[in-house]
This record gives sequence, C-alpha cells and structure tokens, in this order.
Amino acid sequence: MGQEEIRGLLPVLELYLSNPLVIMMLEILLIFIKVVVVTLVVFSLPLPLTYMERKVAGHIQVRLGPMRVGPHGILQPLADMIKLFFKEDIIPSKADPWLFRIAPVISMVPVFAVFATIPFGDKITIPFINYEVSMYISDMNVGILYVLAIAGLSVYGIILGGWASNSKYALLGGLRSSAQMISYELALSFACIGVVMIVNSLSLVDIVKAQSGWHWNIFYQPVGFVIFFIAGLAEINRIPFDLPEDEGTLGAGYHSEYSSMRFAFFMLTEYVAMVSMSILAVLLFFGGWNGPSFLPGIIWFVIKVVLCIYFFMWTRFTFPRYRYDQLMSIGWKVLLPLSLLNILITGLIII
Amino acid sequence: MNELSTDNHKNSSSLSIKDLLKKVFFIDLIQGLFITFNYTFTKTITERYPDDEKWIPYKRFRGLHTLNRNKEGKELCVGCELCQKSCPTQCITVIPMEDKTGKGIADRIAYRWEINLLRCMFCGLCEDACPTEALKLGREYELASFSMQRQIRSKEELIKPQPIPVEFEGGVIVRATLEKGDKEIKVKPDLSVQKRWW
Ligand code: SF4
Ligand code: SF4
Repeated sequence: MGQEEIRGLLPVLELYLSNPLVIMMLEILLIFIKVVVVTLVVFSLPLPLTYMERKVAGHIQVRLGPMRVGPHGILQPLADMIKLFFKEDIIPSKADPWLFRIAPVISMVPVFAVFATIPFGDKITIPFINYEVSMYISDMNVGILYVLAIAGLSVYGIILGGWASNSKYALLGGLRSSAQMISYELALSFACIGVVMIVNSLSLVDIVKAQSGWHWNIFYQPVGFVIFFIAGLAEINRIPFDLPEDEGTLGAGYHSEYSSMRFAFFMLTEYVAMVSMSILAVLLFFGGWNGPSFLPGIIWFVIKVVLCIYFFMWTRFTFPRYRYDQLMSIGWKVLLPLSLLNILITGLIII
Repeated sequence: MNELSTDNHKNSSSLSIKDLLKKVFFIDLIQGLFITFNYTFTKTITERYPDDEKWIPYKRFRGLHTLNRNKEGKELCVGCELCQKSCPTQCITVIPMEDKTGKGIADRIAYRWEINLLRCMFCGLCEDACPTEALKLGREYELASFSMQRQIRSKEELIKPQPIPVEFEGGVIVRATLEKGDKEIKVKPDLSVQKRWW
C-alpha cells in the first residue's frame, strides 16, 4: 500500500474510532495486548538478569564470568534454560505431591500480578490515528497498597514449597522466609507511607507525576529510602538477608528438593521480585520516568531500574550474610521504630 | 544498633559516638561497596584455557617423557634399560637391539621403548638414571584421551621434536587454539603471543 492509500483510509478509520462500541472493543484489545506484552517481557527478564548477575559477580571477583557460550558468554542463559528444561523433575517420595507441584506456581503468580499496576511511562500517542495509549495496564487508586499486598503473597509459595518437600532444610528455609517476610513487610510499608503522605495519593501514577521536575522523593525522604531499601533487600531474599536459602547452613533452603522447571520457577520468581522491587524503588523515590527530556521517559525508567538492579547485585557480592537473630533485631528494633519515627517527622513537617 | 556490632564485649558496652555515627551512616558498608566497585574494573586474572590461552610450564616441569637426539640428529638412547630398572612403578619397557647403521650414538639402540602413562607417577627417577641424557620429562601435560590404548606411548612418538622448544623459558600464558581430534583433545600454543597478569 502506498502512502496515498493510507491517507485515504484515515477518515474511515476515524469514523470507526468514534463509535463507542468500537472504542470499547479496542480498549479491551489494548489491555489484552498490554498484558501479553508485559507478561512476555517479564517472563524473559531472568535471562538477561542471570547473565548480568554472573558477569557482575565475575568482575567483582576479578574473574570473567561466563565466556564460552556465544561471544562473551551471551548465550549462557539460553543454554542454562535448555538444560533446566530437560533435566529430570524429581519429586521426593515422601513429599506432598500436590503442594510440591503447586508451590512454585503459587510463588510465581503474585510477582507477575504486581506488574498489573506498575506504570512504565506516561501516556504516549500513536501517530496518524491520534490514539492515546497509557504505558500501564491499570491505574489503580490503591496502586501501592495492591503492590505491597500482592508481593507479600508470594511467600506462601515459599512456605508451602518448604513444607511440602518434607525435608528439614527446606522446612527451615520456608519458616525463616515467613518470619522474615512478616518482620520486614511492616518496615517496608511504613517506609512507603512517608512517600504517600507527601504525595497525598496511593496511585503509583500520581506518585510519579508528583515527582516531576527533580522533586524526587529521595531528597525529601532519605531515611525512608534507606529503610525501604534495606527492607526491600530482605523482602526479595537477597544477600545480606537471604536466610531462606542460606547455602552455608541450609543446603539451598526452601528449594533444596526442587529440580528442573520447578526450580526454574522459583529462580524466575526471585528475579522478577528483584525487578519489581527495583521498579518500586524507582517509582517511589527516583521519580519514575521523569528525567531530562533528551531521552523518552521509558528509557529513563529502564536506565534507573537497571542501575537499581545493579546495585542489588553489587551488594550481593560485597556483604556477608547476617545471622538470623541479627536479622530479626535489625527488623524489629531498628527499622520498625525508625520508620515510625520517619512517619511522625514527615507528618509534623507537612502540618 | 548494638546488635549490629561484631565487636568484642569490651567495646560493645561503651559504644563511642564515632562508632555510632559510623553505623548510622553505613560507613563500613559503603567502604566495602567501594572496594568491590574498584575490583569490578581491574584486569581479570582468568586464564581462558582451553579456548584462548594456555599455561606453558617452566623447564623444570615433569610432563610427558621425551626421547632426545644429539646435535647431529643421532638417537641418544642406547637401550641400556637403566630407566626401566629404576622406575618404581615399572611402567617403562625397553627392548634393545644392535644397530650398525649409525642411527644412534653407539652400536646399540632401543628397538622398543614404551611408557605406560596409566602407571607413571612422573617422579622423574628414570630421567635421573639415564646415562646419556636421552630421556627427559617434557612439558606436555594434556594427556587425556578417548581410549586406554593411547596411554601407552612409544619411542616413535616420543622421539619427535617437541612442540615447545627446549630453550623456551616457560612460565607464561600464551595464546592457544583448541583442537579436537578423534583420539584426543589438544590445545595448540602460539608462543609468539605471551601474556602475564602478574
Ligand atoms: S617418571 Fe617415575 S614413574 Fe614415570 S616412568 Fe619415570 S621413573 Fe617411572
Ligand atoms: S632412555 Fe636412557 S636410561 Fe632408558 S634405555 Fe635409553 S639410554 Fe638407557
């Protein structure tokens, strides 16, 4: 079709687009497309992330990391994926077969569900038909509450997985993760409340919009950010708080008995959780897609998230692991009072 | 913040202001982060063996046996069987024969000279026993193979010139290429491109 013909079609298209039924259908179609795209992207994210993690680890330890599959080992994650696919899927004979099978899925679904409210950018307009598309699946008015609540659900999968394996190490890992989740979820939510008080809205889109023009929340809520970050590290089970899968004492923790694709699901969950935590940090404290205007918002957003993920990896290969009682006392005796104090002071300043 | 400290008991009871500030602003943790960050951009010390690089050992290395010739190209081994007798694991077989054609330095050469690498422990006693300095433990160390037969190496192979010249000092990493044969896998070094990370 030539340029002329497309121009000729435009009035017809516009006529169509003014029909409310068509608009509704289009809207539904659009949401569907967005859901599919986001799910696919999130599903494939662990591939580059495992590669990145291993490269970061390698270079921090003055090694090279994966080098052999493809140029600079770039195809290593694919090779790993194929390997995981074809490995034997072992279910221990004394395990609870149903729970054992379903646990990875239970932990995986919530971390994907989180992405329903996460805004990746502002509205963009598709050229020619002047149709506005928002870069988020839905703008819930309780966005941040939803994210925190749903993300917390994924610990059920870990507990069930640990319990169903019928292995003491897995069970201990599961128990540890539940205790950790309970203690740090509080501090995490309280740290978010500071931001919510400043912005006066629970919607993630509003929170980002309020930070436009360098009014990033990290400048107004530094303590909140530190609490958020530490609690976030604990929430996504990463070093220094990765006690549920503490290799030193628990074998591999809650996924000791898992192999093949079910293990891959747990890994996927972990990486996606890391991504969503980084995204949350960027949205709440680093101004989301706001940035100097020479790059489009979505690029800024991606850059910030990648930097945040890099920081998570960087800490992982720098810090040792805390002891379990230290973890608990940091959570309850330090972070929780501090976050309450933070809310109090923020409230006083706002008044 | 007391619980965070790993100090001994003497210090933890009296936490000085300086220590407290250090903990509140995560000074130690930030220092740690900077150390690892610096390491991220230092040169890596990985030796990419067998794909790209290979370690060439020093001259004193005791690898696969080599049988040598003198400057005129005559076989130094006179088939005296001393190496066979001195070997603690009895893995050398020497069958001498008379030879008047001048292949060797005397009128006696080895008809068969075989070494069973499956038993050899590379102690080097055979090398010490050899009166004519024919036998030397060389620098070849890639001895894995697809068949047991390959582990018995005979004179015909050992007397060939070595891939790494005897004069080469060694103790370096050189550029190399991986070569997969049907009998074994070898990494061929290219001595002209050397690299030291230290
Ligand atoms: S190196 Fe030692 S074990 Fe090996 S052949 Fe020589 S004497 Fe025997
Ligand atoms: S290698 Fe040396 S010791 Fe062994 S038979 Fe030959 S000359 Fe004698």
